[in-house]
Amino acid sequence: MIRSIVRYLRLYIIQAWFAYRALFAWSTPFNYLVSKFGFTFFSMLLFVFIGKYVGLDNPVYIIIGNILIIPATNGVSGISMTVGNERRFGAMSYLLGSPAPRAPIFLGRGLFHILDSFVTVAVALPVAIWIFRLDTSDTNFFLVLLCVLITSFTTSGMGFVLGSVSLVSRDGWMITSTLSLSLFILVGANFPVDSLPAFLQPISYSLPMTRGIMAARAALDGAGWTSISSLVCVEILIGLVYITLGYIMFRLLERQSMVSGSLDNL
Amino acid sequence: MTGRLFRLAWRQMNVQLHVRIFNLYSLLLFFMQPAIFSCVGMILSKAAGQERPDLVYTVIGGGMLGMWSGLIFTSTFDINRDRRDGTLELIVASPTSLGVVEAIRTFTNVISGLVSMVAAFVVAILIFNYSLSDTNILGALVSLVVILFGMWAIGVFLANFLAWSRLSGSLVEFLEIPVALVCGFMYPIWILPDWMQAISKLVPIRWALEAFYAALLGEQDLGFLWKRWSAALLLSFIFWISARWLEGKVHDHIRVTGEMSSI
Repeated sequence: MIRSIVRYLRLYIIQAWFAYRALFAWSTPFNYLVSKFGFTFFSMLLFVFIGKYVGLDNPVYIIIGNILIIPATNGVSGISMTVGNERRFGAMSYLLGSPAPRAPIFLGRGLFHILDSFVTVAVALPVAIWIFRLDTSDTNFFLVLLCVLITSFTTSGMGFVLGSVSLVSRDGWMITSTLSLSLFILVGANFPVDSLPAFLQPISYSLPMTRGIMAARAALDGAGWTSISSLVCVEILIGLVYITLGYIMFRLLERQSMVSGSLDNL
Repeated sequence: MTGRLFRLAWRQMNVQLHVRIFNLYSLLLFFMQPAIFSCVGMILSKAAGQERPDLVYTVIGGGMLGMWSGLIFTSTFDINRDRRDGTLELIVASPTSLGVVEAIRTFTNVISGLVSMVAAFVVAILIFNYSLSDTNILGALVSLVVILFGMWAIGVFLANFLAWSRLSGSLVEFLEIPVALVCGFMYPIWILPDWMQAISKLVPIRWALEAFYAALLGEQDLGFLWKRWSAALLLSFIFWISARWLEGKVHDHIRVTGEMSSI
């Protein structure tokens, strides 16, 4: 029993570490930093100036929102690429041919992306607080970090779903990129979800991150656990639903590819 | 000689357009990303209490972003794809220089990027009832041509870095949003702090874009427009001449060191 658990854990961590390293193995530290911060940071500035032009005097909402959306870079794009690249580089067939248990292999793709997202936000947020002189006298930093960790975890669920999609579509990267960009509108990073047209609000609330970002904002403003607990719990629930959905999709596609042999033909 | 060049240009453009049309990623670059950024602008505008979004900067600015993103990514992807498929060596070794091939490809990419601008105008006119009645149409058209030339000059300049090293890809892609940011794609340039405006003065697109938006907003002063067109053309020529100089350097470097496929 214990040996079996150790085997699972070993497989999970080794898979996680190699999958993460493989994604950035070709990169230099500069390329890595650019891919992590470049687009997000400059998009944030672009939105800040758009906001300034249209008459929004306080850019803090946009700045905090765009820092809290950073987990999408790892959680959605990173995990989706990690899963999708298995097929692109021809490793998927060998993976599916091995007798290794699927859960640690598939879910391991997310571990270091989740940790990476968390560390990135945990570093970027204090920097933003310092640069923009934000008032944090009432902030509950422990709760903020908890919200960031939970958001990093729940966002990975969307990455697993999109990673599975990229196994059956050559245009998976385009779908992933479009959805990642849509998060700028849908999860309340740049404006409250209430500002969205009514038909988009249910979509927004069914996505990971939306409640996590709301909870993190509330904790930054000084809210306690009782105020944000419902947001955090539903956020975790949504994340689990997406992770389960991603895993089920992966297993179904695996089974289908075993029957039809179609995985490498697409 | 001229006939051969036209034949090359025609065939290269034909292939390039096929590649662009059948690549769904173009859909993201030309339509999805600009639409999403425009939507953010519109919702922010609504959140700020404005009844109607600024169509020139928010919607047509989105089209400009689409043109720029399309150019910057296709210019990088083209060379990286050649490198991946093993055709970059063949192009470098052929009697037609990589510079000529890249000039034609970038021209095609810039022209195909116009589809994003056309879509932005269609949305502005059909959905938001944008009126062209006060627009200096001739001024706007000339400005657009100058913008295209500026984008082309920057495109051929940046292509050299991709031929030099695959690692330059991230650097070039990194320029996508910063250039949109400092050139005022989605807001007037005066919104920016002085130091950012100073940086933008080095980018030809900034000047042509200022003239383009002014013409769309009805600016008729030819002196105002001429100044910006001249600055944009001058800077574009500087980029182009620098591109020619770099091309020779990169060409020699990758032949002498044999690093083209290894770096």
